[in-house]
Amino acid sequence: MLSSLAKTLASVRGVRHIHRSAAASSDALFSHVDTPENNVDTPFEFTPENLKRAKAIMSIYPDGHKKAAVIPLLDLAQRQVGNWLPISAMHAVASLLQMPRMRVYEVATFYTMFVRDPVGKYHVQVCTNTPCWLRGSDDIMAAVQEKLGIKTGETTKDGLFTLSEMECLGACVNAPMIQINDDYYEDLQVSDTQEILDTLAAGKKPKAGPRNGRFAAEPLGGLTSLTGPPPGPGFKVRDDL
Amino acid sequence: MAQPGAATRLLSQLSRVVLTPGRGVSTSAARCVDDLTLKQVEPQDTRKSLLSSEEVQHQKALAGYITVDTPDDITHLTGVPEEHIKTRRVLIKKPSKNTMQSGTSNIHKWYITFDQRERWENPLMGWASTADPLSNTVVDFSSREAAIAFCEKNGWQWSTEEPPVKPPRVKNYGANFAWNKRTRRSTK
Amino acid sequence: MLRIGVSRLLQHGSRHTAASAAAASAARAQSSAPEKIEVFIDDIPVMVPPGTTVLQAAAEAGVEIPRFCYHERLSVAGNCRMCLVEVEKSVKPVAACAMPVMKGWRIKTNSEMTRKAREGVMEFLLINHPLDCPICDQGGECDLQDQSMTFGSDRTRFLDTKRAVQDKNIGPLVKTIMTRCIHCTRCVRFATEIAGVEDLGTTGRGNDMQIGTYVEKMLMSELSGNVIDLCPVGALTSKPYAFTARPWEIRRTDSIDVMDAVGSNIVVNHRTGEVLRILPQVNEEINEEWLSDKSRFAYDGLKRQRLLYPMVKDSSGELRSCEWEDALIVAAKALKSADGSVAAIAGGLVDAESLVALKDLVNKLGGESTCTEEIFPDAGTGTDLRSSYLLNTKIVGVEEADLIVFIGTNPRYEAPLFNARVRKAWMYNELNAAIIGPKVDLTYDCEHLGDDPSIIGKLLNGSHPFSQRLNTAKRPMIVVGTSLLARPDGGVLYSQLLQLSQKLRSGCEGGAEWRVLNVLQRVASQVAALDLGYTPGVTDICNHPPKVLYLLGADEGAITRDQLPKDMLVIYQGHHGDRGAEMADVILPGAAYTEKTATYVNTEGRAQLTRAALVPPGMAREDWKIIRALSEIVGTKLPYDCLDDVRMRLTEISPNLTRYGEVEEANYFTQASALAQLVSGKQDTTPIDVPQKKLEDFYMTNSITRASPTMAKCIAAVRKEAANRYIE
Repeated sequence: MLSSLAKTLASVRGVRHIHRSAAASSDALFSHVDTPENNVDTPFEFTPENLKRAKAIMSIYPDGHKKAAVIPLLDLAQRQVGNWLPISAMHAVASLLQMPRMRVYEVATFYTMFVRDPVGKYHVQVCTNTPCWLRGSDDIMAAVQEKLGIKTGETTKDGLFTLSEMECLGACVNAPMIQINDDYYEDLQVSDTQEILDTLAAGKKPKAGPRNGRFAAEPLGGLTSLTGPPPGPGFKVRDDL
Repeated sequence: MAQPGAATRLLSQLSRVVLTPGRGVSTSAARCVDDLTLKQVEPQDTRKSLLSSEEVQHQKALAGYITVDTPDDITHLTGVPEEHIKTRRVLIKKPSKNTMQSGTSNIHKWYITFDQRERWENPLMGWASTADPLSNTVVDFSSREAAIAFCEKNGWQWSTEEPPVKPPRVKNYGANFAWNKRTRRSTK
Repeated sequence: MLRIGVSRLLQHGSRHTAASAAAASAARAQSSAPEKIEVFIDDIPVMVPPGTTVLQAAAEAGVEIPRFCYHERLSVAGNCRMCLVEVEKSVKPVAACAMPVMKGWRIKTNSEMTRKAREGVMEFLLINHPLDCPICDQGGECDLQDQSMTFGSDRTRFLDTKRAVQDKNIGPLVKTIMTRCIHCTRCVRFATEIAGVEDLGTTGRGNDMQIGTYVEKMLMSELSGNVIDLCPVGALTSKPYAFTARPWEIRRTDSIDVMDAVGSNIVVNHRTGEVLRILPQVNEEINEEWLSDKSRFAYDGLKRQRLLYPMVKDSSGELRSCEWEDALIVAAKALKSADGSVAAIAGGLVDAESLVALKDLVNKLGGESTCTEEIFPDAGTGTDLRSSYLLNTKIVGVEEADLIVFIGTNPRYEAPLFNARVRKAWMYNELNAAIIGPKVDLTYDCEHLGDDPSIIGKLLNGSHPFSQRLNTAKRPMIVVGTSLLARPDGGVLYSQLLQLSQKLRSGCEGGAEWRVLNVLQRVASQVAALDLGYTPGVTDICNHPPKVLYLLGADEGAITRDQLPKDMLVIYQGHHGDRGAEMADVILPGAAYTEKTATYVNTEGRAQLTRAALVPPGMAREDWKIIRALSEIVGTKLPYDCLDDVRMRLTEISPNLTRYGEVEEANYFTQASALAQLVSGKQDTTPIDVPQKKLEDFYMTNSITRASPTMAKCIAAVRKEAANRYIE
């Protein structure tokens, strides 16, 4: 009796189950919290070379609109620090471009490629969106976690690797894939993943790109269409024209 | 009928109101009466045909409203204590927009407000109390003149304030992206 | 009885001309106005100038389009989408706030498409909005609440969890409940555009977007309270007012602010004899719809440190409270036995009615010196000519000027709303600014010419590099602070400035009608006092100490007890137990500005009325009545029995004092500068300085603010922020 009532209730509220989804929020914070690694005193200064680069970037933009250079400059700062952007770097960019700090914070928080928390030397970003997931990104993820002994969002003790779960990185045709710093490693097997991480840990740079023998995004077993020579002009055109 | 008395006074009030439409508070009701009389079909009165021409004249003279050329003053009738007539000051103004909200629907009428008198908190229950009934009065008018007429009728001293003037304002979405003006915005 | 009414009525004509003059000046800014175009709002034809937005055109037709992000005094953002309307032949609904109208458009503000669009927008806005209206301070005056009732759907389709956002701490005035935020960005735009403090922004994006400062810091602005008004939901509410009252319980009294000399129009919100909050009232010519934090939040000072009972010093030298009769008799006896050796000092919060009553009383008793605490040089014409001590171009005049030079003033803290107006002109009308004095942040670009007083002389003889720009300016403005004039060489400097401005007037485009020289007063009572013939400064009293000194709200310590002879009797009349009451022998408790219907004249020379919202606490009484009562006991009865009589007396002395809401024209520069040429004196080399340089100097400037715990909290917070490295 009771169970049937519960069932009825569940069917009445069934609509809830269909709509239920996790709150779609990012794991990153959108307000700054001081940490020992990341605070206003975190040393940051553009190196002379980078300052030169920054000046070159700024020179692209007309006078009075130098602040348009904020994205490339933040990227420059992030590369200089190594994969992440401390708040002091944002301040340095703000003072270089003579814009209010808040305006820089806005840009830095808007773009997910600006990483505002410290990460390891190699930022392992595993794509887990649908195409990669269908091609076995779960296995890749598990392999990385097992290999590095960390969970998503964590950094290895030696400070070498940080693991992140990513939304689509735009390499669906080569799924599954991971991005480590600037390089894409595609068409991965679990063994490939382990090898890549081993190579990195040894201080060497693994070969980027597809791992299953493809050059890029072409079909693996040769062309399946467009195999013949392209038809010439007049193809399938009415005879009387 | 011609004797001065309360009724005449009231009647004269009414007549003034009707004669100058758009002036008083009670215009709408009065207008209705006016419209009705216009529409009414002349009743068939047998006695009328028996009247002499002088009598008809006399009746005609009685039929309309009587206009009295003295200022409206109902202070004798209202029973409001003299203290609340002679010492009260009324401010007539259009309320300014509440800055907490963007709606403007409630700022198109003229309101009268009385000067504040002492209010206190009931020590037992915390109710707000006052000995001044007029301060709780909220009356709105469609025009300043109507409000003034009402105050004068009631014998209150009044003053008015102009509603805020709204200068023309050019709003331009493009100004946010002006390349050589200070209106350029860098916010999202 | 009727006479007053009629005289008011007669004044309407002149007020209208002022309005049309303002409209004309605005029209000039647009230059050659192109011909109007016709559009139809719900089939009502309206003629509007080209470039008008759909929303403005609808307002013209009397149709109000709902909105959240749009605010007429901020830039157009177009991000809330609430103002979507249907335009005939347009496939999609159009955002009314950002879209300029085209000729012949038929706009439907109540069509099926429009209503559906609003309902859809409303549904999205409410997705992440908490249902905490019962505990929200905005409840009852919330745009989201009202508009969801009017335009929203009556049911929800949203069954997921709502997001939550961390609250921010942006200071002791503004409370943030960021979960309620609907991202209209009004506060961000206010901070950026009006307040000039770019500390607020939007961080993150999509579902994670939030409004805030990103780093932990206070919103360091003297206008920060306005974001509370602007916020269409309950995300930004007032901290001191939190959980105090609902808007429908509140009684509202329109009044005037006296915290500075700008004379902002305010609405005093009160209940059961207590001011609960103060809101701005729209006055386009003065404060638009903004209010400075001091004016908005210092009201809790009205409840503390008040003088509730008359007091008299007993034989042991201690002040003891007593009956009015006793205090008045003690005061009267002293005044009578002084035999004419009576003087008065008026403070900064005093109204014109009590000023005139006191001056009449002192003069009747045979006393000569009635002084104000604020100093003004008496060299040349001194305060004889009205235009010498007014902000002659008026506050709206700033919008016509093209160059403004501040000398010895920090308008940001001395008159925040005047500064906001300058910033507005700087932003929209390309006004340029320069400052002589200490380098201060005025929130806009301001050329710092140095703090050497000799610069004024150099500008006069044209040898300063800035002279070129000053001379070629079409409508230059010189704004002089009263702290400059209070210097020992203030007279010399002022006469130089008079000559300089006269020179500029003859050359500038505005001609003789354009008045270059402006004095920015700091206290609300000063202009009325000078109009009534008070002597600025207390040197006279120091040099010739009277037997009885009457302090009318004089709390700034212009004169101290040590400077006075021991046997002098000091009567203090005022509302706060502050510096003045400290040195008094007799205390007569008066009314604060929320407790009396009184006249104040702002720095432009505009007379305005405060209106009594409350009755004075305890045994305190309205100030002019106290003086009138005292005069009767002394035996020199003042010839007025009611407020109208006092106003009549004010009119007799200076008719402008009762022409409420208007600025009386004053233009005597030719005479003043001619006499100024005769002024000679030694010029100091001390650098020009201003007393209010930083935000913490702003909050406490008079007896009300000194008694206010909120102002004390503000100062503490600002001082604490000095250690915050995130503040640039």
